[in-house]
Amino acid sequence: MTERSKNPRHPRKAPIIRSRGLSRRTMLRGAVGGTSVALGLPLLDIMLNDNGTALASGGPMPRRLITWFWGNGCAINDPNNGDSGPRFWPASEGPNYEPTAQLAPLFDAGVIQYCSLLSKFDVKSGSEGRRGHHDGCTFFSGHPFVELPADGANYSSKSGGPTVDQVAAAQLGSQTYLPSIQLQVSKRIVTTEGPTLQYLSHKGPDQPLPQIANPQQAWDKLFASFTPDDDPTTPHRLAALDAVAEDAKALQQKVGTADRQRLEAHLASVAQIRSQIAATAPECVQPAQPGETNADIDGQEQLISVNSVMSQLLALAFSCDITRVASVQFTGSVGYTVFNDLGQNLGHHDMTHAGAENERVDAATIYTMARLADFLVALRDMPEGGGNVLDNSCVLVSSDCSTGLTHKTFDQPVIVAGGGGGALVSPGVHYRSQTGENSSDILLACLQTVCPEATQIGGGIGLSNTPLTAILA
Amino acid sequence: MKLRALLLVPVLLLGGCQGDDERGGTGFGGSGETGGTTGGDEEPPVEGEFAEPHIRILLARQYVNAIAELFDDEIAELAAPRADVTLNGFDAIGAGQLSLTDADIDDYERSATAIAAAALASPTALEPYLDCVPSGPDDVDCLSSFVERFGLRAWRRPLEPMELGRWTNVGFTAALDFGEFERGLEFIIAGMLQSPNFIYQIEVGVETGDGSGRRKLTSYELASRMSLFLTDNIPSAALLAAAGAGELDDEAGVREWAATLLADPRARLAFDEYFEELLYLRKLAEIAKDPATYPGWSPYLAESMKVETIALIDDIVWLQDSDFRDILDAEHTFVNDVLAAHYGVAYPGPAGFQKIPVPPGEKRGGIFGHASLLSVLAHVSSTSPTIRGKFIQERMLCFSIPPPPPEVVTDLPSAEEAPTMRDRLELHLVDPVCASCHQVMDPAGLGLENYDGVGRFRTAENGVTLDTQSELDDVPFDGALELGGVLRDKPEFARCTVLNLYRHGAGHVEAPGELAYLDAVEDAFVEDNDYRLRQTLVDLVASEAFRYVGEQD
Repeated sequence: MTERSKNPRHPRKAPIIRSRGLSRRTMLRGAVGGTSVALGLPLLDIMLNDNGTALASGGPMPRRLITWFWGNGCAINDPNNGDSGPRFWPASEGPNYEPTAQLAPLFDAGVIQYCSLLSKFDVKSGSEGRRGHHDGCTFFSGHPFVELPADGANYSSKSGGPTVDQVAAAQLGSQTYLPSIQLQVSKRIVTTEGPTLQYLSHKGPDQPLPQIANPQQAWDKLFASFTPDDDPTTPHRLAALDAVAEDAKALQQKVGTADRQRLEAHLASVAQIRSQIAATAPECVQPAQPGETNADIDGQEQLISVNSVMSQLLALAFSCDITRVASVQFTGSVGYTVFNDLGQNLGHHDMTHAGAENERVDAATIYTMARLADFLVALRDMPEGGGNVLDNSCVLVSSDCSTGLTHKTFDQPVIVAGGGGGALVSPGVHYRSQTGENSSDILLACLQTVCPEATQIGGGIGLSNTPLTAILA
Repeated sequence: MKLRALLLVPVLLLGGCQGDDERGGTGFGGSGETGGTTGGDEEPPVEGEFAEPHIRILLARQYVNAIAELFDDEIAELAAPRADVTLNGFDAIGAGQLSLTDADIDDYERSATAIAAAALASPTALEPYLDCVPSGPDDVDCLSSFVERFGLRAWRRPLEPMELGRWTNVGFTAALDFGEFERGLEFIIAGMLQSPNFIYQIEVGVETGDGSGRRKLTSYELASRMSLFLTDNIPSAALLAAAGAGELDDEAGVREWAATLLADPRARLAFDEYFEELLYLRKLAEIAKDPATYPGWSPYLAESMKVETIALIDDIVWLQDSDFRDILDAEHTFVNDVLAAHYGVAYPGPAGFQKIPVPPGEKRGGIFGHASLLSVLAHVSSTSPTIRGKFIQERMLCFSIPPPPPEVVTDLPSAEEAPTMRDRLELHLVDPVCASCHQVMDPAGLGLENYDGVGRFRTAENGVTLDTQSELDDVPFDGALELGGVLRDKPEFARCTVLNLYRHGAGHVEAPGELAYLDAVEDAFVEDNDYRLRQTLVDLVASEAFRYVGEQD
C-alpha cells in the first residue's frame, strides 16, 4: 500500500489518450471542455471473428484469473459438533444445485449459474506446519508456508511459493500494461504474524504483493499512470532506470545468495516499470476518478461501497485489457472486520471463536457472498464480444479455513466462478470430493483456463499435476 | 459450566509451553516443532555464529528523513516510499528479508521524480552539492562533481569511478537533450535516489580473517547503521567524514559518536517511533471499537492515548535519564484534556499534555495502567486477558507462545453462561491441552481486568464484582502498578529490552553468536548503568554484536 494519495502535491500522470495496434483504426476525436481528446473504444464487434469468440486477427479473447478471499471461514453447522462441517454447501451435487442461504445472494443476483462449488477438498499444503489460518491461506499457492523461527520474538510466517494468480501473471503479465493488481476492501487486517496472513497475493516467500485499499489509488494505478508518448522526459527516466539496473547488478556481485535473489527481484521490477513507462496507453475510456477512498465514517468501514467501486474498476480494467490478473482480499485472515451493516459489534475473527455467535458468523458469511455477487455482477455487466467479461474470466474464491471455530483446512468453502473463456464448465456444478482430493487440483484447473500449457502447481506436499476436470469444460 | 467435547485426539504438539527454564533470548522451540521449511537458502545460524549480513530496505520514515536531510523538510513532504512490512515483530526485520515488488519500484520512481523536480525548483536545495558554476549544458566536469558530492551523502559513501561515470552520463545526456544544465541534475537526482545504493542500507562488511567467521562492517556501513538506528536518518556530513578518517574503526570512537548522535534531538523522535512500534501503538487511531460499548472512542482520543505513553517513556529516557523500568510503575503520567476526561480526573491546564499523578484508587502505575495499551490489547467490544498476557510474555519478556494445537475447537462460553472474563476463560486453564500455554498468558491479563477495553476503571463486569488477584509466572499481583512491580524485578524484562532494541537496530533476530555480546550489554544495563537506557544504547552500538556481521552464504 502506498501513502501517495495522502500527498496532494504528488504529480499525477497524464490520462490515457492513445491508441495502438491493428484494431485501433477507429478513433473518435471529440472535444471535452474545449480540449481535443481521443476516445478509444472497447473491443468492437468489428475486431472479432464472425462468431464473436475470438479476435479477427486470430488471437484468442483475453482471459482473466482472479483470486477473491474472505477470512475466517464459515459458520459451523452445529456449534456443538466440531465435525459437522461448514454452513455453505447444498445437499445436491451436479449442475443446478439448490442454493443454500449462504449462496442465495449469488442466486438473487443472477450469477449462480456461473458458480461451481467444490466441497470436501483437503488443503494438503496446509497439513505441514499446522497453524490455524496460516495453513488455510496456503490454499491459494499450494505450497506449505515458511515459518520464521520466533526464538523469543513474535511468530511470523511467509508464503512458501507463488500464489496461483502470480503463476498466471508470470506467464500473461507481459501482454498487458500491468502484470496484475492487488486490491483490499476491509482495512481491519492482521499485520503482526507475517505475510501469509497479511497478503493474498505472493510472488514468493519474500515477495508479498502490497494491496491497494483506497479505490482512488486503484483508479490511479489502473487508469491514470500512463506516460504520454510525447513526454520528453521519458528517454531520461528510462536511462536512469538503466543506470539503476547497472547499480543493482554491481551490488549483486558483492552480496550473499539471498540478497542476490532479492536484487534479482528488484531488477525484474525495474524492468517491469521501465516497460510501463515506455508503454503506450491501451485503448480505453478513462473512467471518472471515484470519490470513495475507503475512509471510515464514524469509525465504521463502508464495505459495500468500497467493494462496489473496486469491482467496477476491475471490470473496466479487464475490458480495457490493462491487466488480466487480479486478487481481492475482501476481509483479512484473522481479521477484525466489524460488519456494521449487519448491526454487529464484534471483530470477525473473535466472533468465529464463540459458538454462541455462530448465527452472526453465518450472517457475515451471507453478507460476504452478497459482496462477491456484486463483484461477479460487475464483470457480467461488462459486455465483451458476444458475451461479457465474466464469461472470459475465472474467479477463484476461498477462505483460510473451513470454519473459524475449528480451524480445519478440510472442506474449506471454494467457489470457481466465470466462464474461463469457455474453459470452465457451464452451468457451474457442485462437485463433492469423495476422497479428500488435493485442493491444489482446483488451482491447477483454474490456472489452465489462462495458461493451458500449465501442468503443475504448488510444491511439496501440496503439489498437484492433476487438474480438477469436473470444472473444466 | 458446560465443557464441550470437541477435541480430537490431540496430535501432540511437542513442547507445549513447558521448558520454562529457557525463557528469554535463548528462547524456546516454540512452533518450530511443527515443521514448515525454513526460509529460502538460509539455514539458521549454528552455535556461535553471527547472522548473515543483509541489505536492508530503508524504513519509510528513514527514507523520508533522508530526503529532508539531503534537501529540506518541504521537499521531504513529496517523499512517498514503500510501506514497511513486519516480520517477527519488527519492520526492520521485514526490511532485511523481503524483496521489493513492482508496486514498490513504481512508488520509488514516482517519489524520486517528484523530489528531483522540487529540488530543482528550490533556490537552495542544490547548493551543498554544487561547487562549480556550470559553463553550459555540456559541462561534464561540473556534472561529475555534483554526482560525487551528492552521491557521497545520498549513498552514504564515496562513489566508485564506474558509478561516477554512469551517473554523470545520465545527467549529461539529459542536459544536452534539454539544453539546460539543471535538467541534467534533475535526472541525476531522480535516478540516484532510485538506486539500490540509496534504497537499501548496504551491510556487507569485510572478512576479519581471525577465524571467527565474522565480518567487520566498514566504517561507512557502521556510520549508516549507527545513524539510522539512533536518529532514523542517514549520516551527517560530519559523521561521514569521521568514518572516512577512521574514527569508527575502534570501540572508543564508536562510543563517542554514539553519544553525539544520541544528543541529537532526532534521536528522541527515533525512539518515540521505536516505542510506538514496540507497543503496537502506531495504528491505535485506526483500530475498531464498538461505539455502543465505548461511546467516547474517537481517533483523537486514541491519538491522545498514544501520546500519553510515549510522553512517559520519553520523559524517563530522555529528560530524566533515569531507571528505564520506571515506565512499568511510575505513579505519574501525562494527559491532555480529552484524556483527563476519559480517566475521570481533572485536567490541570492550561493546554497540551500536563504531568499529573495517576488517577487515584485505580491501582494504576506505568504503561499497563495506560489506556493506550489497554485499548490496543483488547477486542472490539471487550477486554482480552489472553492478548494482554501474550503481549507481556512475548513483547516484554521475549517468551514466544506456540500456536494453538491443530484441530482444537477454540470456543468459549458466552456472557450469559459466564459473566466475567475469568469465568469465560476458565476452560483455557482447566483443559490440559489449552492450559500449558494459557496458564502462561491468561493470568497476567486477568490481573488487569479492572481496566475495560478502552482502559477505563471498573469494579464489576455484567453485574459481577471482579476478582483481579492474579499472578505473573507465579508471582502475585493485582492491577497495573503491582504488575509493573513484578515485571521490574524480572531479569527477563531487562534482557528483552536489550534484545528488542537489537532486533530493530540490526534488523534481525539475534543469532547465538551475537548473544554472548548482548549478554554483556544486558549486564551493563543492569549493573553499570542503573537501568538507564541512553547509556545502554551507547553500549549496544559499541558492542561487537552491532559492529560485526556473520559470513555471507
